[in-house]
Amino acid sequence: MHFPWWYVPDLTSPMLIAFIAIIHVLIAHYAVGGGLFLAVETGFAYKTQNSTYLDYLKRHTRFFVLLTAVLGALTGVGIWWTIGLASPLATEVLIRTFVFGWATEWVFFVVEITAAFVFYYYWGRLPPKTHVVIGWIYGGAAWISLVLITGITAFMLHPGGWLEHRSFWVAFFNPQFIPQTIARTGGALLLTSLYVYLHASLTLKDPKLRDLIGTRSARPALLGSILITVGGIGWYLRLPESAQAVLASAAVLNVLIAIIFALTLIVFILLYLGPYRNPGWLSPGFALALFLFGLAAFSTGEFIREAVRKPYISYNVVLGNQIFPKAVPGLRQGGYLEGGVWPKAFVSMRFPEVIVDGKIDRSRLLSLPPEDRLLVGETIFHYHCNDCHATTRGYSPAGPVLTGRSRESILELVTHLDESHFFMPPWAGTEEEAQLLTDYLVHIAPPRPGGMIHREIVSEQDP
Amino acid sequence: MDPQMLIDTTALTDIPAPHWFVQFFKTLGFALHAIPMNLWYSGILVAMLLAAFGPSAAKRFSARLMMQMPVIVAFGVNLGIVPLLFLQAAYGKVFYPATILIAWPWLAIVFLVIPAYYAVYYYAFAIRKGPEALTWRHHAAGWGAAVVFFGVGFLYTHGLSLMVRVDAWPELFMAHNQAGAALGTATNLGDPTLWPRWMMFWGLALTTTAAWMVLDSAWMGVREGRAYRCWVRRFAPVLYAVGFVWFAIFGSWYVFGTWQASVADAMWSMPNALLTLATGAAGVLPLVLMWWSKARTFRRWQATAIAAAQVLVIGLNAISRQVVQNIELRGYYDVLAQPTSVEWGPLVMFLVTMVAGLAVIVWLVAQAVRASAHPAV
Repeated sequence: MHFPWWYVPDLTSPMLIAFIAIIHVLIAHYAVGGGLFLAVETGFAYKTQNSTYLDYLKRHTRFFVLLTAVLGALTGVGIWWTIGLASPLATEVLIRTFVFGWATEWVFFVVEITAAFVFYYYWGRLPPKTHVVIGWIYGGAAWISLVLITGITAFMLHPGGWLEHRSFWVAFFNPQFIPQTIARTGGALLLTSLYVYLHASLTLKDPKLRDLIGTRSARPALLGSILITVGGIGWYLRLPESAQAVLASAAVLNVLIAIIFALTLIVFILLYLGPYRNPGWLSPGFALALFLFGLAAFSTGEFIREAVRKPYISYNVVLGNQIFPKAVPGLRQGGYLEGGVWPKAFVSMRFPEVIVDGKIDRSRLLSLPPEDRLLVGETIFHYHCNDCHATTRGYSPAGPVLTGRSRESILELVTHLDESHFFMPPWAGTEEEAQLLTDYLVHIAPPRPGGMIHREIVSEQDP
Repeated sequence: MDPQMLIDTTALTDIPAPHWFVQFFKTLGFALHAIPMNLWYSGILVAMLLAAFGPSAAKRFSARLMMQMPVIVAFGVNLGIVPLLFLQAAYGKVFYPATILIAWPWLAIVFLVIPAYYAVYYYAFAIRKGPEALTWRHHAAGWGAAVVFFGVGFLYTHGLSLMVRVDAWPELFMAHNQAGAALGTATNLGDPTLWPRWMMFWGLALTTTAAWMVLDSAWMGVREGRAYRCWVRRFAPVLYAVGFVWFAIFGSWYVFGTWQASVADAMWSMPNALLTLATGAAGVLPLVLMWWSKARTFRRWQATAIAAAQVLVIGLNAISRQVVQNIELRGYYDVLAQPTSVEWGPLVMFLVTMVAGLAVIVWLVAQAVRASAHPAV
């Protein structure tokens, strides 16, 4: 609409954000918790003069820097890249609202990487006390980065009073800020222990040291699990009403919620029975299982967090069909194509015959030949629907979703989108545009599959 | 079709900072980003060439630079956040459409830099053990990183050039769309400014590599021995001169061969003409400083002056680039006419944090310098 829509076949462009964001989140939490782990454990190793543990921690720091400073940092950049490409309107609003939040976070990021490099490259040359202080500087800066970014991402789920009072502080201290900060802090602690277990189990031969690491990292992991639970409950309680309803009504989310609870419970039990009570269990297989359960729980949580915002990209601020909520009445009146910079440009250049006095003449759209009507319908689909639906296959494809539906039924659905499903955006076009979109949807929807006996019974009984 | 019609004029939330503030941080951020970015853009290639064909001192410089490269890349990526952030805050109306039209090449930057950065680490960890530790895989990684970073420079220039070539958008959009949705497969190869800009910047990057060579030899490389520093004394001015000539050739092509009349008129009128001339000629200053004394090695004061002069060269380039960008866009969209509502609280928070953060970084670097005096345990 305001910007060109980026069409990524099958996957949809927003799923590219999800793909990169999941990788980033799984590393970024470790970047935070790992800093705290290294600060605490390096201090402990110096205090107990445990040189074997110090050697291990140096090796772990190398792994940590390689993972967080390269893949973690660059997938963070990748998120920026993809949100600008797939959700430019929401990104522009977020950047303008939080530019100083991001700029402040950047300062902490510079401190982080400076501290991380000094901590690693000058290992063994820094006085122990200074070395530990640098570890804490890294850990502190990384945690503050987490807090700042959480304020921004939490805003996307609940803008609080920002719609009335457009200030940075109102936006930042939104109702989701504290619960998500607690949950993410817990996630950072838990995930770090799982990374440490995996790394230690794969690289350490010394069972005594492995047991020490198992026991010491179990406590922050268990604390992390508790924080995730507390934060998760707070997250749910402070969700907007519609987001709670989405959780309750979407079958897939129900299943995912059950999975996340089951996985968290499994991780908790394994942590308690394994590293906490029986550190000797920390074999590579056990650590890998723990790690994979943790990653699965985390990824599921992130998916749910994204899904409950529907139909918004940024809750109550930008809708999934790339418009502001306040724009809907005007677009219904004047036309979705007419109101969009890029779709209008496309129609103007491709079908100049429908332009009258510089505007799209709606009645002329319906006079286009059938194949052109389909093309215009597809244009509306891309801008209005492709944010959440692929076309005929892939991510939540619209065609198969509408399998076997009649034209009337699809038209009814299109014109009453948010009434048929409250988590869909409202229809934001004219009646003519609804007809064109319906043409396209009918075209891509497969016919009703045969083989179901009740259809034959019902049709036999029908007069 | 009038390309201007492709720029959205919907009023979003206002820009929360004064325009001068956004322009200042965007330009400052770019200049700071350009320093380490120059070192990977041409520095890795120079390092690989010297490792392959140079004398022993050249190989030593190559090893030093490649050992430093992981840190250089980290800071380059990090410092790139600032200009990108302020660019999006004020230039989103043109930045987003341009990058969406070329989405796949633009996104490729991220996926190319990740393996290239790991390749740099792979090479750096091996070279720390000595040149004999390098296998063909390490050489391949080093050369691969050099080529990829060189290509990434092209992709970056490609994207940001298109941002100001609004007149090219309609054709690219219509040639690369699926029912009006951008496929992201367009390229901006027909832009006459693209090639000279890319190459001009490579010349600048060569000069920065030469200046870094001087700074490193005088401050961090004192333990390398006199022979090494004498080689730097001879080689750095030559490298700088090559970079400067390269910059002058492609800069002339860019300025005299591709500037549109509106840009040329504005940039050759006072006071911008002074900026244009200063940007073109500034490279003479570090070069003169390099040839200044007859000493066989660079003195610390001299190296510091050369580095400072090079920062000035990069700064002038960043300022000129910003001024030209605004002029090029002015015909389509006046960035500076967008409404602002300054949010002083968060702005002050950022500035205070930045000062405090700088103090912490200075302390961290001081610890590193102090620790450098001690041998590793």
